[in-house]
Amino acid sequence: MMVRRADTVGIVGAGAFGTGLGSVLARAGRRVVMWSRDPAIVDAIQTGRRSPRLPSAELPASLEATTDPRHLAASARFLVLAVTSRVVRDRARELGDVLDGSHIVVHAIGALAAPTNERVSEVMAAGLPTLKVGVLAGPALPADLAEGRFSSMVVASAFDEVASEARRLLNAPPNLRVYSSKDLVGVELASALAGAYTVALGLSDGLGMTAGPRAVLVTRAVAEASRLGMAAGAQARTFAGLAGLGNLLVRASGDRSADYVLGRRLAEGVIPPDTARTEGARAALAGTELAKSLRVRMPVLQGVAAVLAGTASPREAAAMIGDTVAVEE
Amino acid sequence: MTRLMASERPVREAENRLERFNSDRERLLAEVERRVVARKIVEAKTGGDASLEYVLNDVAYCEIRRLEGSKSGGVDRWRELSRRLLGMSEDEKREELRGLVGHYGRDIVGNFDPRVYRFATGIGPSLLGFLFSPTATLRDGMNSLRNLDARIHADGEIDLARACAERGTIVVTPTHSSNMDSPAIGLGLLRARLPPTTYGAGKNLFSNPFISFFMRNLGAYRVDRRLRFELYKDVLKEYSTVLLEHGYHSLFFPGGTRCRSNLVEKQLKLGLLGTTVTAYKNSVREGAPHKRIYIVPATINYRLVLEAETLIDDYLAETGKNRYIITDDEFNRVGRLLEFFRKILVHEGSVVVRFGRPLDPFGNDITDDGESIDRAGRAVDPASFVRGADGEVSDDDQRDAEYTRTLGRRLAAAYPRLTVFHSTTLVARVLYDAISQHAGTRDIYRLLRAPQGHLEVPVDAAIAGLERLRARIAREPAHGSEHPLHRDQPSSAKLDDAIRGLATYHTRPIVERTGQDNGLLQVKDVKLLYYYQNRTAHIPPEGSP
Repeated sequence: MMVRRADTVGIVGAGAFGTGLGSVLARAGRRVVMWSRDPAIVDAIQTGRRSPRLPSAELPASLEATTDPRHLAASARFLVLAVTSRVVRDRARELGDVLDGSHIVVHAIGALAAPTNERVSEVMAAGLPTLKVGVLAGPALPADLAEGRFSSMVVASAFDEVASEARRLLNAPPNLRVYSSKDLVGVELASALAGAYTVALGLSDGLGMTAGPRAVLVTRAVAEASRLGMAAGAQARTFAGLAGLGNLLVRASGDRSADYVLGRRLAEGVIPPDTARTEGARAALAGTELAKSLRVRMPVLQGVAAVLAGTASPREAAAMIGDTVAVEE
Repeated sequence: MTRLMASERPVREAENRLERFNSDRERLLAEVERRVVARKIVEAKTGGDASLEYVLNDVAYCEIRRLEGSKSGGVDRWRELSRRLLGMSEDEKREELRGLVGHYGRDIVGNFDPRVYRFATGIGPSLLGFLFSPTATLRDGMNSLRNLDARIHADGEIDLARACAERGTIVVTPTHSSNMDSPAIGLGLLRARLPPTTYGAGKNLFSNPFISFFMRNLGAYRVDRRLRFELYKDVLKEYSTVLLEHGYHSLFFPGGTRCRSNLVEKQLKLGLLGTTVTAYKNSVREGAPHKRIYIVPATINYRLVLEAETLIDDYLAETGKNRYIITDDEFNRVGRLLEFFRKILVHEGSVVVRFGRPLDPFGNDITDDGESIDRAGRAVDPASFVRGADGEVSDDDQRDAEYTRTLGRRLAAAYPRLTVFHSTTLVARVLYDAISQHAGTRDIYRLLRAPQGHLEVPVDAAIAGLERLRARIAREPAHGSEHPLHRDQPSSAKLDDAIRGLATYHTRPIVERTGQDNGLLQVKDVKLLYYYQNRTAHIPPEGSP
């Protein structure tokens, strides 16, 4: 049966998240076209129905992989940009050559775009012809998606059509439920800052902090991120939602996140070179700059940035955070 | 992509499409009526607020409230409608709706009299010159009369705007700081050999009989801001949409009302600007995506602003509740109006209209051939912005409003670069900087209470400050530029020119020379100084990061 273009989801990038998302959608009966620049991955998917990036994911025949971006653009109007923050600019430019003003593109990048640390939607606006862009964020791990466990994400855009199409095309209950929001800036900032606070939690765990102080750290992180978000035009409650608190809890719950690992290493006194900075580390430094320009007090973020910059030891940073005056919550 | 630079094209006057307006008028009105009535009837099927009973009741309620306090009467007609509503059949409601849409359409619709246009653009300026400056006129003879419109200087992307007017329909979107803007932009278009446009003018402007005569006959349509019910707004928007679809060049002030502060406008209202997307979408649906609409940003830059005193008072009003419609300002006082013409408009280039590069209705830039390009400089089909997944044109009011917000942001971003600084503005900024530094604050409310001693600036310091400000502006074209006719003027001469203007037109001098050998500048009116310096407020203070 011929599937309408309107009912097809395009995925840009065949990494672990893109593959997990494609898997859950295809298993729910949705037609998925996935674009990868790597012919070996495309071949593996097309012939073996498995991706080397996420071998646990079952990839039904309704998921098609291609190396041809024109085929992707012609097959689907709704696209999910699921690449890393380091290549998003190049990929957006490349994708922009084949899209037009009718396409809808949401990105699933929980970080700021490298190397300029802009929000990814700003990079998309500069590189894509369509204005209908959005963000997809939340604690959906690739393995959970691939293995059919319960996941939820939030989609945000200034365009109602982006949110409604995302919900129509990406909802695959009970495996994946998609909430919507109009707070594009908030969801992007919350998601990126969650990486920075994951570094902070890795650091505090590395220093041997117990459950009580850890809970305080999480709570204060959400509070100060909300303050920054509001100053930047976002809504406070976004930071306590899936993109903010949800992402923070999932990224800091195990040792798989690069940001969490970095925090543990920082606690041991190892400061990575600039080139080895994680997305969370970049978010901590960029967020601190933003906070300075917007005159927002952010002791946790500033503590992480100080450790990363080598201007404070982990214990000094922890003391700095602990010394802040408690005001009305 | 670019095949022929617009500047290489032969310059010719763009066609005046308003010449055919009067013969089109009934057809346009009928189209507006047909569309609005059809839409309202479809919407009424959903019931609730969209029901015809509610729509008609909303009109009656608003009209009763508006007319209750007025002496002109007419309230009985609306009370009677309100009473009849409950007993009306659906057919009767439809007829009433049709009648109201027709009524408001006729209230809005404009007129274009080619004789008045020829008068206004030919002998008109000469006669106006005689009226406004009889002494100079007699002295300088007919030649100076014919050059009255030289007082309006027009420049910028004129060739491209003209090419767009030939290829499609243009919508000129200037900044708005004075009721003089309508005639100023009209003359600016004429100077630029751009076609005349139709535009919506507040009904209150028609109270000045002199200006009203020209507005009524030169394509202006009446916008009654007192009518706040949805049906009126629908008729107004549909009228603008139909005009654009039929190729009538238009003019909107996206700031909505006059900018009270004289800041370069940042917050734009969507208003009629949204009709550009609707009109283009309708053309695409009709199979005519080539009927392009181009939005031309423009700034109107005055040496002095007619209503500056009223506007800044309104802006700084303690209540913070600015009046949306002002009916008792300088524009409505014939004496002040004549004074403005006599003292301000006699200076060559006392008003500069600068046109920017046109955009498409989605805020995309265009090439010199009028093709849309995205932010990365790639050609993009504007019709694709209103198409759905299967290529069909889709209706989505929220999407279209978001497109218009994007366009508004692009216009707001274009204005600073298009801003032209007169000597008055530059000197006001220099003096405001100096007194702020002296008082240790830039806060206007604190400066209003500053002692006289803090309001004196040595002439030498002012000239030095002016030199530095001019150098900064020259280095940063994104902030705007100096008046093109006075770019090479020495700073001392620019200061003299500014002081002459700032000291003589308003009811109270803004600044005066004082002290030994006139070596000091004394600020006499901080409020107006603030008003004029606000035009440069997007330029950060010296030494700021």
